[in-house]
Amino acid sequence: MIKILRMTLLGTTSLALLAACGDKTETKNEGKADKAPAFASTYAPQPSETTLITNARIIDGTGQELESGSVLIADGRISAIGTEVKGEASLTIDAGGKYVTPGIIDIHSHLGNYPTPSVHAHGDGNEVTSPITSEVYAEHGVWPQDPGFDEALQGGVTTLHILPGSANLFGGRGVTLRNIPARTVQAMKFPDAPYTLKMACGENPKRVYGNKGGPGSRMGNVAGYRKNWIKAQAYKKKRDKGGEDFSRDLQLETLADVLDGKILVQMHCYRADEMVQILDIAKEFDYKVTTFHHAVESYKIADILKESDTCSAMWADWYGFKMESYDGILENVPFVHAAGACAMIHSDDEKGIQRLNQEVAKTWAHGNRAGLNIPKAEAWKWLSTNPAKALGISDETGTLEVGKRADIVIWSADPFTTYARPEKVFLDGALMFDKENGLKPKSDFRLGYGE
Amino acid sequence: MTFTKSLLGGLLLSTFSTTTWAQNYFISDAKLVTNTSQGTIEKTDLIIRNGKVAEIGSDLAAPSNVEIIAADGRWVTPGLIAPFSRLGLMDIGGEDVTNDTSSEKSITSVSELASDSYNPKSVFVANTRRMGVTHAVISPSAAGDSIFGGTGAVVNLSGRYNSVEKPAAFVFVQLGENGTRRAGGSRAAALQQLRAALDDAGAYPTRYDGPEDGDALNRQDASALFKAARGQMPLMISANRAQDLLNIIKLKNEYGSLDIIILGAAEAWKIADELAAAKIKVMIDPHDNLPTSFDSVEARLDNIVLLDEAGVEYVITNASALGIQRPATLAQHAGNAVGNGLSWDKAFAAITATPAKWFGLPGGSISEGANATLVVWDGDPLNVTSAPTNMLIEGRRQSLTSRQTALRDRYNPTSDDTRLHKYR
Repeated sequence: MIKILRMTLLGTTSLALLAACGDKTETKNEGKADKAPAFASTYAPQPSETTLITNARIIDGTGQELESGSVLIADGRISAIGTEVKGEASLTIDAGGKYVTPGIIDIHSHLGNYPTPSVHAHGDGNEVTSPITSEVYAEHGVWPQDPGFDEALQGGVTTLHILPGSANLFGGRGVTLRNIPARTVQAMKFPDAPYTLKMACGENPKRVYGNKGGPGSRMGNVAGYRKNWIKAQAYKKKRDKGGEDFSRDLQLETLADVLDGKILVQMHCYRADEMVQILDIAKEFDYKVTTFHHAVESYKIADILKESDTCSAMWADWYGFKMESYDGILENVPFVHAAGACAMIHSDDEKGIQRLNQEVAKTWAHGNRAGLNIPKAEAWKWLSTNPAKALGISDETGTLEVGKRADIVIWSADPFTTYARPEKVFLDGALMFDKENGLKPKSDFRLGYGE
Repeated sequence: MTFTKSLLGGLLLSTFSTTTWAQNYFISDAKLVTNTSQGTIEKTDLIIRNGKVAEIGSDLAAPSNVEIIAADGRWVTPGLIAPFSRLGLMDIGGEDVTNDTSSEKSITSVSELASDSYNPKSVFVANTRRMGVTHAVISPSAAGDSIFGGTGAVVNLSGRYNSVEKPAAFVFVQLGENGTRRAGGSRAAALQQLRAALDDAGAYPTRYDGPEDGDALNRQDASALFKAARGQMPLMISANRAQDLLNIIKLKNEYGSLDIIILGAAEAWKIADELAAAKIKVMIDPHDNLPTSFDSVEARLDNIVLLDEAGVEYVITNASALGIQRPATLAQHAGNAVGNGLSWDKAFAAITATPAKWFGLPGGSISEGANATLVVWDGDPLNVTSAPTNMLIEGRRQSLTSRQTALRDRYNPTSDDTRLHKYR
């Protein structure tokens, strides 16, 4: 709801920008495709010790829960996990029976591109100048000093995906970030994580562009997607062929990369019937929708989502702020999961991201109350395992398995309660938040305030 | 088929029953949170008669002709009271025609009654009730050039027609960034509009020969502010910046008898002692910890803990946009105050006994002779995994079903109903 307001506010100012800068997104093809990518990740894990966490109640993200186990971290990676872990460690942490879990991954955040304080000057999350803005990159609007990153870390979030807003049919590229306190967004970029494309269904595009040349209806939305996929197909054909007469077009490049399977589609969509229409468009143009975001009505078509192998990123209890979100139920996540489809939680909110474990606990409990019988260790997948899958980074993080990045949270209590808090948060095996000794990041913005 | 199933078992029966008229109940084996000096009583029984708690004690004999609610050792508490919301004032926030929270172009301000806009049939009422909330404070919000939202009310969440408990419970004013914008662009203008309005109301009716004779308020609005200007009704002011709160303390000193409640108060911890000395009450959202604006640069999670230590009186609210539309997650916010260091008893009182006291509601505590407004829970009410299994409002059994549960039941994956969804 807050985001809609921001978009409306932004509408007028960004129009002026368009007039000033023009819409020149085409540049001459440089020929070589194998040169270093633009805006390459400079992320480097912080130094870490060989660490052994013992006496831990482990939920590992694969569906397993160990009542008492150990995790061995070496070179920032998980080198052993289980009940009988052997290995030398320079640091041993006795978890005292407390819960140890993978770091949380939020697949839908606007931290950095709608940072606090929420002044007009900070509205960098949506290029509200045209319904087609697949040429923009969320990372170019990310302010690494957003204090929300620091608070999210203290909520156990180790990886997050920043998307452009939902005013456009094609909103632009999303970026996956390590939640590392850094000076630049490049230093936060998850190495080798695929880019994503934000798309949006329904009310937002037609409301924002209804009086600005369209789309002005859901019919116009669908026509808008199809017209541009046709252009992208033609562009891809030219690009595949190469040669002198091919020139780069940033807008179509993103779409062609989707058609090539290099970019994952993350699509804002509320209504069940609309999601199924989108799946038909994906069939028509032979691309894949990786995840529907918000997906308030996924529970109505969970069988179809399972069949198409499409994930849903959902809230526990947000609904009813606009017509397309009116049918929200508290069991959406567990119902989608129970149908065998890929389900996960998401925040879309700088406060919600700080307690995603509670959001999962809520919806998990409602699901079981409705007759399901989902164990906690299974429900944990909604917090890290499935978001990692939907972001194409599950080989690197999302579960506590040997070889993966040691993104780990030690909790003060059962994370499926209101009272639990992260006590220690590790990123690549490096301790980045420690409640015990007060270790935590502080944004430049917060200097000089407080006390 | 579903119908027969729902008749099996007491718990299921209670979950699916619709609102019934007051009758008598025997609640057995409760972990009873009284919110009185008796604290929490384990393994107790309650007899509910004619809408009141008739008897509390262990091993009571169940009277004849009462319905038995077996708590089986689970929590029984007073109903939750949401201290700030716009529940029942909108159906779809984003659709103006369904949204009565503010009136951009009206000729009145203070005199507009939220109770006149309240729709007990809004789906959010039942959806909030099933989360344990029995009462809500509802407030209009400021619009146009006025810093006044209007006059707020207290409603019960029975969803019945005529469920307004107090049609005129407080006057709502917005300072901070919102009020500043409405008053013309500065904090000074906002505060001066408030002073001028209090002066108008203080001089009402003598100042008014004609309807427009006030400095800031027309005759109707000055009349509506009469009680709040004399401390006979709370004046609720939204503000967050510590300096704004100090200005409000100064205002209280200037006008002597105002009964001020501050909504937001994100930086209240910085001037906790001053607020305590001025006996100004605050409504806190324990999730507020970001510098959302330059009014709340120093927001922090333990705000409420520091206020408690200083002796400031507080209630807990969910001040997010959705929390205001439907305060269904009120208990989670109180639970997080506990997670951040407040005691369970204090956090729970801040969503029950304290708002009841502030707004003059019966309820908020459970003792013999008190109104039987209570909730039976399947676990600790402040834990996110818990939910109500039974609810009484003044002795009347409340339905815990809603449009949401109807959707849930229609699409439940455990259902073996193979008919088309629209026939289920």
